[in-house]
Amino acid sequence: MRRLFLILLFLSAAVGSSTAAELHRAELIDRLCGDAAALGEAGRSLMGVAAEGSAADRAWAAPIARAMMDRKLTCDGAGAVAMTADGSRDALSGAPRTAAESGRSPLLSLKNRSVFEMADAALALRSSSDLGRRAAALRTLERHAVTLPELLFESAAAEESDPVLRAQITAVAEAAALNSADPAKRIAALQRIAATPDRRALAKVGPLTKDPAYAADPAFKGAVDATVRKIERGIRIGDVLATLYNGLSFASILFMAAIGLAVIFGLMGVINLAQGELIMIGAYATWLVQEALQRFAPALTEYYLIIAAPVAFLVTATIGIALEAVLLRHLYRRPLMSLLATWAVSLFLINIVRVTFGTQNLNFVTPFYVTGGVPVIGDFIFTWNRMFAIAFAAVTLGLTWSLIRLTPLGLNIRAVTQNRTMAGCIGIPVRRVDMLAFGLGSGLAGLAGLALAPIYSVNPQMGQNFIIDSFMVVVLGGVGTIVGTVVAALGIGQVNVLIEPLWGAVAAKVIVLLMIIAFLQWRPEGLFAIKGRRK
Amino acid sequence: MKPLASDRPFQLLLAVVLAVAALLAVSMVTPLGISAYLANAIGQLAAFAVLALALDLIWGYLGILSLGHGLFFGIGGYIVAMHLLKHSSEVTGRVPDFMQFMGWSSYPFYWAGLGFFPYALLVAAVVTILISGVFGYVSFRSRVDGVYFAIITQALVYVAMLLMFRNDTGFGGNNGMTGFLVLFGWPIGGSGVVIAMAVVSVLLLAAVLLGCRLLLGSNFGVLMIATRDDEVRLRTLGYETLRLKLAVWCLSALIAALAGMLYVPQVGIINPRLLSPELSLEIAVWVAIGGRGHLIGAVIGAMLVNALKFWLSAAAPELWPFILSGLIVLVVLVFPNGLVDLAKLKLTRPMGIKRLASEPELR
Repeated sequence: MRRLFLILLFLSAAVGSSTAAELHRAELIDRLCGDAAALGEAGRSLMGVAAEGSAADRAWAAPIARAMMDRKLTCDGAGAVAMTADGSRDALSGAPRTAAESGRSPLLSLKNRSVFEMADAALALRSSSDLGRRAAALRTLERHAVTLPELLFESAAAEESDPVLRAQITAVAEAAALNSADPAKRIAALQRIAATPDRRALAKVGPLTKDPAYAADPAFKGAVDATVRKIERGIRIGDVLATLYNGLSFASILFMAAIGLAVIFGLMGVINLAQGELIMIGAYATWLVQEALQRFAPALTEYYLIIAAPVAFLVTATIGIALEAVLLRHLYRRPLMSLLATWAVSLFLINIVRVTFGTQNLNFVTPFYVTGGVPVIGDFIFTWNRMFAIAFAAVTLGLTWSLIRLTPLGLNIRAVTQNRTMAGCIGIPVRRVDMLAFGLGSGLAGLAGLALAPIYSVNPQMGQNFIIDSFMVVVLGGVGTIVGTVVAALGIGQVNVLIEPLWGAVAAKVIVLLMIIAFLQWRPEGLFAIKGRRK
Repeated sequence: MKPLASDRPFQLLLAVVLAVAALLAVSMVTPLGISAYLANAIGQLAAFAVLALALDLIWGYLGILSLGHGLFFGIGGYIVAMHLLKHSSEVTGRVPDFMQFMGWSSYPFYWAGLGFFPYALLVAAVVTILISGVFGYVSFRSRVDGVYFAIITQALVYVAMLLMFRNDTGFGGNNGMTGFLVLFGWPIGGSGVVIAMAVVSVLLLAAVLLGCRLLLGSNFGVLMIATRDDEVRLRTLGYETLRLKLAVWCLSALIAALAGMLYVPQVGIINPRLLSPELSLEIAVWVAIGGRGHLIGAVIGAMLVNALKFWLSAAAPELWPFILSGLIVLVVLVFPNGLVDLAKLKLTRPMGIKRLASEPELR
């Protein structure tokens, strides 16, 4: 059955290319050598070949159209000879042959010239193997797209291998349909455009309100108005979603940067000014893991963001525990001095990293799971790198919450946060809890560094950009509550993203700070302060 | 606090400061004394010492740590820079760089009249009091203090820096302001003017030092220290600490602005880096290293750290951050009261360590 089908297919192809088109080809050559009217006919036939002809026909026709344009086609008694890139060949059979002395080269009139130009470009678009030539052909065709057969663009788009050019072909076809003389075609094109409501679509449809048909044809007017409305609604929804999404991703970064700070501040009343530098160290640890994978296990390099998570956590947690044991342990009764001490640590860390690694930005491989995105509606693209930050923050939130709520260490941390003295009295090893909690807070900063690595530029100074924002989150959220940190991060993230497009990033920071100061008038202890004795 | 008449260390410090001022003044007329370069360095150190005194007043004697005093330093600096530019262009007719850069032909409206020094002085004082007053009032009223206050002041100076980095604000943007040519009709480059500025700085340092000492010796000073040590008890006894804190806070901001006005003409440039959170933190470091809660400590700390910084920034710039962080850790862990502890160690020979331990520790 299948064999029979194949044979039929083969036969039909053979017949198609040998008999029917042969006749057609000879006739076309005759017309090429005919008068001006016949030449015009020939040009339109060539265009027909480009739009509907078989691959073999197109391959045959392309050099002829080219030769006509270059005036390298010579008609003589035996038919026509075309000078092509492969030398002088018979136009009909393609066999090498030189033209007779008496031959003449048909001259294209201005009108025919444009017909042949289009045919040449159309054939090139369909059959040229050179991407640059196809792109140039499309640009030529674009000027007269309205007059060209729709089928041409459709089949060209279907066969095109380069995605950028394919999108361009579709766009040209769409624009052509939109401006065609047939109102039904125009309305159909409008509906197709309305399916992707973004700003580009609006730019295409918008000028149609000035089209003569808009005033004359009520059906067309209705279709344009409906399309514009639909696109505008799509853009609005897309913008709202994009703002929310950007706000959410900014909030997740703020949350990652602030959660470690919040745990430490809630527990010990110590603001760790080196928190930003722990974020930076986390990012550097991620980079080292990536480099190590590239050297020893190149197959796993793409997964460095996942493999580095425990490394980044452990490295920064170790630094945090060391910091607590050596320095902060002696400063719990002098919280203001601990500010200076942790600042000294941050200065030290920045400069030690600068001396070791240099000041340039680190290069990170962008793994496949954080590249690209899915266009949703309007200009809103659901990008995977932001989604990674959001998902990472969500996982971190879940883990931190479980640790604080469900483990014995978490119970101790909560007890010490609420009442340090009483917790000590009932036998909780307060000092040890402090040390472990400081390690936890520092480790969380390391994870924040990992989440930032594929999004931000990583250099020794990067931590300083986050420290003040994350303080604001902690101050607003109230000390020692995870819920407060989440809500404050979401709030600050969204407000920032809302204000930024209106007045710029600086104004957003100023307004957020003023809002926080005003808010502290109302609730000095933050949004979700734990009821407990402080100091 | 000891009466001024029997406070030997303070008298010694004041005498040294005045002697330096006298030496500088002599150098102005004879070519033999201090060179213009050294005088300029001394003048800058004096400005930093004034700044440290401002912070010590509020942190050492009232227990409120500000990590944003660079803001007031910057306000003074920016306004004096505006005055100098306006005055210079009035005298020489040269258009300031930032206006050429922005393509402006006339000054923004808030530059009006700043070429007249008393008016610039008034603007600096009003702006400083306005900002510090409003911020201090809302903070102290809602009892924001301790670490919270420190962090919010730091955010404040950070935001101010971001604002100043913008080019369209009319304050020179990220290039800042420079090219000051004329000071009260005198060309700024001459060594006489440089030394004169140093003399004025050192004299004003002496004045601020004495003023702070007199304030602290008064009943008001007693109240300040009482507020620092136990504010709740003081409130329970019926004292309204809000106004007291606000007054000292504004005074401290004014002194910081004065320091900025002394500093900027001597370095000849101002840019938003002056408002960076790091500088504001460094002020606290000077005071901590010198010994907070001691006026002498603030002055000596600012002088020592900055002299070291001047020297090392030229000799071994890579090393400076490590030395600074090492110094801070040393001070924080071993000498909680800064160099003042060191002095006590020496004075009380055999039982030195014990005496140090029994000293009441500031929070």
